[in-house]
This record gives sequence, structure tokens and C-alpha cells, in this order.
Amino acid sequence: MSSRRPPRGEYIETDTGNKVARKATLVGTQNIMLGGKTVIQPEVMIRGDLIRTIQASSQSASGAAPNNTAVSIGRYCFLSRGCCLRPPGRLYNGAFTFMPLRMGDHVFVGPGSVVQAASVGSHVHIGAKVSIGELAIIKEYVRILDGTVVPPNMVIPSFSIVAGQPARLIGEVPEGGHEAFELRDLYKTAGNNPQPMPI
Amino acid sequence: MAALTPYTYIQCPCSDFSTLGRPSDPNPPTGTEAEVDDDGDDDRTFDPRAPRANYSLYPLEYLLYCEDCHQIRCPRCIAEEIVTYYCPNCLFEVPSSNLKSEGNRCTRSCFQCPVCIGPLAVTSVETKPDPSLLAAPDNAAAPHAGPYALTCSYCAWSSAEVGIQFEKQNGIHAQLAKLRNGGATRLTAKERKERRKDPSYRSQHTTEGPGAPHETEDLDLETQFANLKAFHQGQLVDPNSADTGLTALGDLGFSSPTSLSRIMSIYTGGSLQDKKAKSRVGAMREALDANEGFQVARLDESAAIEALRSEGHDGTASAAQLADQPPNLGEGHLHGRGRFTPGLRPIPYLLRTKRSKRCPVCRHIISKPEAKVQATRFRIRLVAGSYIPSIAIRPLALGSGSGSGGGGTSASGPAVPGALLEPLRPAHYLLTFKNPIFETIKVTLGAPAKTPGRLASKVTVLCPDFEIDANTDVWDEALNQGGAGGGGGAGGAGGGGGGERERRRRRGEDGAAGGGGGGGGSQSNINHQNQLEVGKIWERGRNWVSIVVEVVPASLRLEPGDAPLTEDEDILEIPMFVRVEWEGEAGGDEVGSVATRDREAREKRELAYWCVLGLGRIRP
Repeated sequence: MSSRRPPRGEYIETDTGNKVARKATLVGTQNIMLGGKTVIQPEVMIRGDLIRTIQASSQSASGAAPNNTAVSIGRYCFLSRGCCLRPPGRLYNGAFTFMPLRMGDHVFVGPGSVVQAASVGSHVHIGAKVSIGELAIIKEYVRILDGTVVPPNMVIPSFSIVAGQPARLIGEVPEGGHEAFELRDLYKTAGNNPQPMPI
Repeated sequence: MAALTPYTYIQCPCSDFSTLGRPSDPNPPTGTEAEVDDDGDDDRTFDPRAPRANYSLYPLEYLLYCEDCHQIRCPRCIAEEIVTYYCPNCLFEVPSSNLKSEGNRCTRSCFQCPVCIGPLAVTSVETKPDPSLLAAPDNAAAPHAGPYALTCSYCAWSSAEVGIQFEKQNGIHAQLAKLRNGGATRLTAKERKERRKDPSYRSQHTTEGPGAPHETEDLDLETQFANLKAFHQGQLVDPNSADTGLTALGDLGFSSPTSLSRIMSIYTGGSLQDKKAKSRVGAMREALDANEGFQVARLDESAAIEALRSEGHDGTASAAQLADQPPNLGEGHLHGRGRFTPGLRPIPYLLRTKRSKRCPVCRHIISKPEAKVQATRFRIRLVAGSYIPSIAIRPLALGSGSGSGGGGTSASGPAVPGALLEPLRPAHYLLTFKNPIFETIKVTLGAPAKTPGRLASKVTVLCPDFEIDANTDVWDEALNQGGAGGGGGAGGAGGGGGGERERRRRRGEDGAAGGGGGGGGSQSNINHQNQLEVGKIWERGRNWVSIVVEVVPASLRLEPGDAPLTEDEDILEIPMFVRVEWEGEAGGDEVGSVATRDREAREKRELAYWCVLGLGRIRP
């Protein structure tokens, strides 16, 4: 989010290849880490202002600078229109604090979804209108179908296909389905000069 | 009606009649039916609507490929072997030795809500947060004091509702095993076992005597089974048990020793196999009291009716909830047991597995994940997608303004994906075949002129015979793309030019190659390009080829008296036979001979299979 190119397109394209829509709402940008080549579509909201208020005891003891990252996103993530990333909150030793939201590489978040997971692994597909409850942990290669409600604290192991309210395991990602999680091609189709999807 | 995205399903050869190991009959039956069946083996059109087809069609991603048999393998025909058991909640691996002793559920504190199957969390029962704690986080170290309960964060169910509370925060599984719903303690499996062995306990109950069997206490399932087993074992040994009750039934009755030992040997692995029993014909006495495993069924359901009256339908557990309940050997008899929500217990998570897959024919492993739970890599992963061409289906809008604009003035097929097909109106679809292997492949397609089934749509594959260039490795691809993006003039060594030339139409190549060479390439060439021509490829790229299929959908109008449309009968599905030929490096299977022989030796390979193209729904 540092360099701004002269022609004002719909997206801001950064040096690391992030494509952030001007109409996206990013709150607390200094606490949002983008790994690069991530697409953030319009009307996306990322709540970087919800930082951790209580540091882990080991960190506070060592006196190191507090890590204020609220949302960290890996490479080649695609945040569709109208989705929301919100760090989860919980009681920590009796007091309320937010916890960071970590997201791996090649994560697709469908339109209108709300993600409050503690961590989302790499190669995860989250469909449209999905709600991911607080402190849920989603491992790698998981497909969450449209309209799913993942309850808080749920752990979804790798290669799961989940759906329903509340989410339940409905299948396994087949061996041949791993490549479908790659978002490199999708990355090229967004931005100020979108390319057609290669065949 | 939900829009239908076009799909391609591929038939696994394991369900093919011709490859099913049919015993070669020297004199085939003369029945007409059988004759038709036999004749149809070779030139039979695969019917995607046949009830059997349901079980043999898979999307490409679900198929594996055996490199030794050179054949497609589907989830139905592969043999699976379990590599690792793990809990899907805590992701801890469970050694298979634990599995035998402790069952197939997680014995850590991983539980599912019995009402909604959401995950349960251990919380202190006094959940009301102290306002002083929120204000002053410094003294936040105030420890939660018990008792604890399992609560669901999705539906707010709490185990306190059914009277289950825990003293400690950890070891929930062990604590739960000792608790009945309502809070009363129950014996664990080990304690029950000890109690059964305890002679004082036994004698105490036998003093009541067999004279009053109805007074005996309820046995849990495990104890009852143990008692019954001991009783029948005694009966088998006892030579005087042959009091000839129902000898007319011979050895078949329930009370016959041979059938009992046969059944028991099925379930217990032959421990009860009694050699002598075979020679004996006779009947045994039935169990008479609790010590012998006899339980009187409680048929009095007035309590359940009363509860139904007071709780109403809301208080009952659904069939799905009851099915999710783990089988509990410590519980009482099944008669009149928990059909109400207060009887539901937290469900320990069922373990999940990582499995490797073997070819059913040659027993080679074709898929093997890493054993570690958290690892997502595969040691071996031979997926069909990297051996056979993928087929993508796209509706083709012909007419003015090609490309993305798509005015759609022509009446040729739906331009919008998922739109309904007009009956009796020709529509065109683009099939894009993508070659995953590093050899040029020759593809031959065969499709019936009319789709099988009641509603016969006409199908014409305009170019059923074509070649697809070899796949290149990822670096070539990246370089080519860079060239195309930069200037379009990358006429270098790579693969015969950059993006523009790759996207040229075959037609343009024949005639006006210069026209396509300019700026917009295929996109801007609107003149003669959009004419369909039989035998010509529509478009080709580095390792893909697009061809056109013309369909004339059948009318869904039914004659009066016809059976009504069945579910999904309005989907236009085309069975298509795909034959792929290529020249591969010879002898991948016999490694030794290859090393000595000429490397240049090429071997002709072919693979043929049926697939089904689902194009769309026909407008009623």
C-alpha cells in the first residue's frame, strides 16, 4: 500500500503485487499484513483495529515490542466483494482480548462471508455467505461450501469438505482436487487491467 | 430451478461389462435377452441414465491412474489402507494399539454437542463474569473454580442441562465415563469387569435365588453379554443339556448348541468353537435369571408417554441425534431407553483416517499421504488429471461481436452459462480439451447421433478427430506468458510464438494468417471467423484444443399417457467415447530392460473411456 501509480484505477496495486480496491474498508491498516499478490475487492472490510490488548505472558515478560498484527494474510489470497475479516475475541485470564487472525496462502473468501477464525490454513476455499465463528481453526486444503456456519472453536482438519448449519463434514477433498485451490490464475483476472482466465 | 453448470463425468473401466471378469462360456445361452446383452458389448452406447451409471461416473478429480496398468481407477475400485488415525478436533494421532483398547473415538476432551454436533468446550459452571475482573485485568489470575460443564457455543447446550458436571477441567473423557445423565455415578468398564469377577457380589445376588427373576437388577449390556456367554458356555460343556426340546428343528433352532457355537464363533473369533458339539444333537435350556444373562423386557412405556405429554415433541431426540450417540456398553438395556433430549450425552469425536490407495489389479500404491497428521503432502499421488485430457464445457454464442461483448443477437445457444436450453433449437457448446502429458496426443471422439433415453436430443460433434500438442513444463509456460504480456512479439524459441499466435484460429492459419497477426488477434477478427465448419478445430493453444458440439435439444412435451418426467430427466447429457493415442517412452514398467535398450524407442499407447457431458437443462 505504499506506491500509488498515476492513473487512478479501481484498485491500488502495490509493489508486492497486492491489488486493493479503493472501495474496500480497511480499518487499522498498520495492523494488517498482506503477503503479496492478494486481491481485495470492493466493499471488503478488514478490522485491523481490533488488536490484541493483552499480550501473551511470555512476550510481556521478555519486554519485547508488542506484536500488534491483527490480521495477517498470505500470498495469492482473494477476498471477494463484501466479505469481512474480523479478529476473534475471547476471555484471556478473565479479561477480554482480541486474538490475531492468521490466513495462509491461496485462500479464497467468497462474497458476503464473515471470517473470525483464529487461523485459516493455505489452500482454503470459503464459499459465499459463510460465517466462520470465533477462534475456529481451519487447516490446509479445506473447502467450505456456500452458506455454511462454522461454529466458534471448531477445528476443521485438512482435506475436509464441510457444509451446513452448523458445519459438518460432508466429504473429503479427492487427490485430484488439490490443484483447484490454486489462485494464481484468479489473481490475474482482477485488478486494473484484468486478464482473461487462461484455458 | 437451479442453474446447472456444465459438467464432465468419466466412467471408470471397473464398471465396464466387457472388462468385468465374466466367465468365458463356451456355449453361450440362447436366450434372446442374453444374446442382445452379449452383442452389445463392443458397440454398445453407454447410457448415462442407466441406474448402474450412477455408480461408475466420477468427476476427473476423483479419479486416480495406475501407471502400471495404464488404466483409470475410481474410488470404488481402489483398495484403501489406513495410514494414520487421528482426532479431527485435537489433531492428535491415535496409535492403532489404542484403537483396539479404547475404541474409535477420541479419548481426550474432544466432544460434540449431542443436539447440534457443534464442538463442545469445557467451561466453568459459574460462567457469570465478575465485573471487577473486567475492570482490573491485573488480578486476572483468579482461577476458575469448578464445577465444569461442556457447553456448545453454537446452540448453547450445556451438559449441566442433563445433569453432567465435572470436578476437574481435564480428563473429561474419563470423568464422563463414570457419570450417568443426572449426575449419578456409574461403573467404568474396568470396574464392571472386576465386579463380575467378584464372588461376593455374585453370591450376594444369587442368594435372591432364581425363584424371583423379575426382581433382579438391570444389567448393563456388557454384563448381560458376559453372563449370557458364561451361561451358554456352560451349556455347551454340560453333556446333560440335551433334554430334547425341539429336536424336530434339528440343528437349526436358536436353542441348538451347534447353531449357537456357529454364531458365537462368528462374533468372537472361534473361541467358543466346540468340536464335540457337532456330534451332538439336542437343545439347551434357555437362560432363566439375571446371572444367566436373562433380562425381562420392560414393555411398560407409561413413563415415556407421561414424559411425552409433559415435554412435548420438543423434548424428544431426533433420529439423527440418536444415531449420532455413541454406543454405550455401560448403559442398561435398550428397552425404553433415551428417546428424550435429557438422555442425550456428549459425543466424543469419531476418529478420522489418512488412507493410502492401491490399484486393485496390480496392487501398486497409487496414492499415499504422509503419515503425520499435520502434513498435507503426498508421497505418491497418481491422479487421473495428470494423465488424461480434461474436458471443459462452455456455451458458445455465435453471431455478431465475438469475445466478451457477446451481443447475443444470434439464436444459437445460451450465451449465459447456466441458461436453459431451448427445445428443438440448435445450440453450440465449446469443448476444450487440455493435454496434461508431455507428448502430443491424438484424440478421437465418438458420440451417438441421438442421446439415449426417452428424450433423444440430436448431437453432432463437428470435429471428432484432432491432435493436441504436448504440455510443456511450468517454466516454458511462465516465459511464454511473460512474452505475451510484454509485447506480444515473442516469436522466439519457446513454443512457436507468444500468446497471440497461440490463440490464433485454425481457420485463420489456413487462410488469412496476416489478419490475425495484428493487434487484437482472435478477438478483433469478426468477419468470417464465426462460421462453423465441419472437421475444423475451433481454437487451439499450447496444450489445448477447443471443438464445437452442436446439439438440438429434445422437446420436453410429453404425449398424454406418457410417464411424467423423472428427476433430472430434463438435463441434456451426452455420452461420449474418448480415445486418446500417444507415443510414450517405451517400457515404463520393466526398468531393467529400458536401461539397456535404446532410449529412443517409442511405444504406442492408447486409452479409451466413456464420459458424460452434462450441458444444461432443457426449457420445459
